[in-house]
Amino acid sequence: MSADYFGSALRRRIIFFIIIGMVAVQTMQLINMQLLESNKYEVKSHDNSIKSFTINAPRGIIFDRNIEILVGNKASFTILLTPSEYDRENSKILETVLGVELGYIDKILKKYKKFSKYKPRTLLSGADYRMISWIEENQQKLSGISYQVDTQRDYSFGIIGSHIFGYTKEIGREALKKKKETYSIGDNVGFIGLEKSYETLLRGEKGKEYFVANSRQKIVKRYNEGENDIPPIKGNDIITTIDYKTQKMAEELFTNIKGSVVAIEPATGEILAYVSAPQYDLSSFADVTSNLVWDSLRFDEGKPLFNRGTISMYPPGSTYKMIIAIAALEEGVISTSKKVNCNGGFYFGNRFFKCTHYHGKVDMKEAIEQSCNTYFYKLILKVGLQNFHKYSTMFGFGERTGIDISPESKGNVPSKEYYDRVYGKGKWTDGYLLNIGIGQGELVTTPIQLVQYTSLMANWGETKIPHFVKGYIDSNTNEFVSLKYDSVKINVSNNTLKIIRDAMLDVVNSKDGTARNIRMKEISISGKTGTAQNPHGEDHSIFIAFAPFDNPKIAVAAIVENVGYGSTYAAPIAQKIIKAYLGSGDKSEIEFTNSNLKEVF
Amino acid sequence: MKIDYKLQDKFDLVIFLSVAILLGIGIVAIYSATYNHPTAKGNFNKQLIFTVVSILLLFLLYFLPARSFRVVALPSYIISIILLVVVLFLGKTVYGAKSWMSIGGVGFQPSEFAKIGLIFFLSHWLTDSKRDINNLKELFYTVSISFFPILLILLEPDMGTAIVYSAISLVMIFWSGINLFGLFVVLSPGIILFASLFGTIPFIVALLLIIVALLLFKQDLFISGSVFVMNLATGFIFEFILKILQPHQVKRILSFVDPTADPLGSGYNALQAKVAMGSGGLFGKGFLEGNQTQLRFIPEQWTDFIYCVIGEEFGFMGSIFLIAIFLILFLRLLNLTSLAGDRFGRITIIGILTLFFTHFSINIGMNLGITPVIGLPLPFVSYGGSSLLTNMFLVGVVLNIYKNRKHHV
Repeated sequence: MSADYFGSALRRRIIFFIIIGMVAVQTMQLINMQLLESNKYEVKSHDNSIKSFTINAPRGIIFDRNIEILVGNKASFTILLTPSEYDRENSKILETVLGVELGYIDKILKKYKKFSKYKPRTLLSGADYRMISWIEENQQKLSGISYQVDTQRDYSFGIIGSHIFGYTKEIGREALKKKKETYSIGDNVGFIGLEKSYETLLRGEKGKEYFVANSRQKIVKRYNEGENDIPPIKGNDIITTIDYKTQKMAEELFTNIKGSVVAIEPATGEILAYVSAPQYDLSSFADVTSNLVWDSLRFDEGKPLFNRGTISMYPPGSTYKMIIAIAALEEGVISTSKKVNCNGGFYFGNRFFKCTHYHGKVDMKEAIEQSCNTYFYKLILKVGLQNFHKYSTMFGFGERTGIDISPESKGNVPSKEYYDRVYGKGKWTDGYLLNIGIGQGELVTTPIQLVQYTSLMANWGETKIPHFVKGYIDSNTNEFVSLKYDSVKINVSNNTLKIIRDAMLDVVNSKDGTARNIRMKEISISGKTGTAQNPHGEDHSIFIAFAPFDNPKIAVAAIVENVGYGSTYAAPIAQKIIKAYLGSGDKSEIEFTNSNLKEVF
Repeated sequence: MKIDYKLQDKFDLVIFLSVAILLGIGIVAIYSATYNHPTAKGNFNKQLIFTVVSILLLFLLYFLPARSFRVVALPSYIISIILLVVVLFLGKTVYGAKSWMSIGGVGFQPSEFAKIGLIFFLSHWLTDSKRDINNLKELFYTVSISFFPILLILLEPDMGTAIVYSAISLVMIFWSGINLFGLFVVLSPGIILFASLFGTIPFIVALLLIIVALLLFKQDLFISGSVFVMNLATGFIFEFILKILQPHQVKRILSFVDPTADPLGSGYNALQAKVAMGSGGLFGKGFLEGNQTQLRFIPEQWTDFIYCVIGEEFGFMGSIFLIAIFLILFLRLLNLTSLAGDRFGRITIIGILTLFFTHFSINIGMNLGITPVIGLPLPFVSYGGSSLLTNMFLVGVVLNIYKNRKHHV
């Protein structure tokens, strides 16, 4: 061993290279992290400390055709809960103050379990000032509880419109999966009615606010003084086709009765008024709907949640007689002057089919005017099932109209195939035809189909798909964008339509007309009464009408359930609605209350 | 700049200035990490006091007579061992390690000061010209000198410091002229340890490799047998150590394998440190502007994760500057080993260099995510009185050796 063993050059060189090697590795890692992959870490660092809060956009306002507000927005408080910060010890007192059932918060926490626990989630929307001030006072003790000012629907503009507007509801799990970009858990989404159909127009775009949070996710300050915040964009305002005063009148007329009325502008298919009664209070859906409200609505005998205007299928009764007449005229099976003798009924086989009265000898016009069943029993036998089906479907029966709210029923127009399927081949007779010839039996239609049919007759065989929305005001450009709707046309000669229209005018205006009780000097109403047989109870009173006769501006189909004959109940309602729309708009007329209505009946 | 050659002749400016710069960087970084911290606000002032005291200590040592370090070598080692034993009984547990002692209200870590005793005594021991380090008996004694403090520190248990002690001992022994077989004997237990970290099969494979190596060295049967038995024993001792290790320490070792597996658990610090470093970019986010630092994403950042304060707020430029200063310090220390007047001085400097370098490598490494999170402060930069005083003491020793390089003592 030489003395040189100490600190030999070799050993020093080895240590030198170890030092250089280590520094080289560190430098490479530094270059990699701080220069090459810096962006990746910046994103992470940003995510770490920048917390974004979503600000819900106010939904678009719903206006009537004259830009009167039907559904607006109002400020509301939403109480938020951030699961990561929340202390469950507070649940009991919080539940008491918020007036929710015990265990509500646990349920909410469970719902949000699979989502980020650092984000504030909706605990309760539509909170009142009392709750908010209590939270303010106890802020120190209530970690993880905050609130934000939000908007909710405001229904205080005098129109109920429950089945038109519909409501929003918290988005379901399945729907959320499909639309992850647009919605997040706890968001409300249009669930039914226009809120659903025009969800994409109404919902707006959510905004974002950024805050700086520390490692415990506590907010320290606003990020970049709010310069990166994205303000929410309000949903587009919708201009509906509804006419405020007509709708108001329709709603008042249906305050205490069941049924449905639809008023429409024949040339455009624009719905002027739409009621399905009983209605329900939409404001109970504006925030979290309590189970109590739900149950009371669901088990109500009047079935308020049921949208009668598009779903209910009633036999159209005598209002359907024009279809038979049109088919007969178009197919040339009868001349208008041909008279049929009515002895108060008609024997077919060994069965007697009743008429309403003894009408004597009636021609087509008189048969419509006085609603003679005997005439139409005989006529349907001449028209036949095939033509019956042909002209029914031509007028849109048995098919959905395509109205812009859903769901919608198809109704049913019996055909040979239908009877074969239901009763078996050869097991049904022409006797079945007699019933559908007067709009009864297996023939069922929806109110919206009836009003479309009325429009077609009123407007000389042409209308548009019935709809509620004219267009919308684009939130970004502030411009009105109108929506286009397809035409509906029928292949019926004007000559035929003229005969039918004249007959309908007589229903109201001749001395024998079944609806002569609603005759008015100022407005020439044409219409047709009907009574839908109801095996479950009293018959339904039906009336279809359009006015003015020369230049129809409004077509109405009204159905009042379980009251009997059409002319007595449905016809005055249709008349009041027509008057409300075409009349001067006199206030006293609009304030036609339910007590008045009873007197009318 | 005009260099005062007279001053440079007596006082190594390279060492002193690089240490001074590191102290400055440390103070700036500690300020940033603590200035509005609820509980650690006072740490900045404390560190200022420690810095002043440690500079005084450095000059005190600088002016000591050249022989004094040899004279105190054995006593300082014995005192160190005593302190390390006492701390096991009277110490305070901090972060799962019983490493803190308090005398007259002032807390300190014996394992920091004991580094001085170990370096002095090992230098003294290895400088003895009668010893042949390649004699296995002598090697055994030498290793035993290191083994006692390492064992005591493992009992605290403080993995990081034990690693530093092992590295110091290993490099000093290496420097003293050990031959290849001797080096093999010293290193083989380490290989066994490393292999058994990965399970039983790697452990057996490593044992087989050692048998092959022993056959190749062609030493006599007794020596080969002893070495094998020693290695076998190491494997079992390791099992024992794993059992006495705190769960958080085991987790730390395991979390190095995949820090992303448990981002909010034990790998959290490592991940957040990387995010802080990486997001600094080229120029950093600016002093007091690092959101990772200022929003306290990394707990106790003023100690082991001080480097990512610099990385985040001063970016690549700051980070590479700090590494460059350390590199200058290390290379100058290595350079001094050829200037020092005697063996004791040289080997002492090597011990000190190893101490600084090990701390530096592991600390920077864990900030960059290239080594496990083993709690070791960055010399001169991290907050902490015991470690600063020890390090400045040792720099004082180096400067003293430099001053006396022309004397043979």
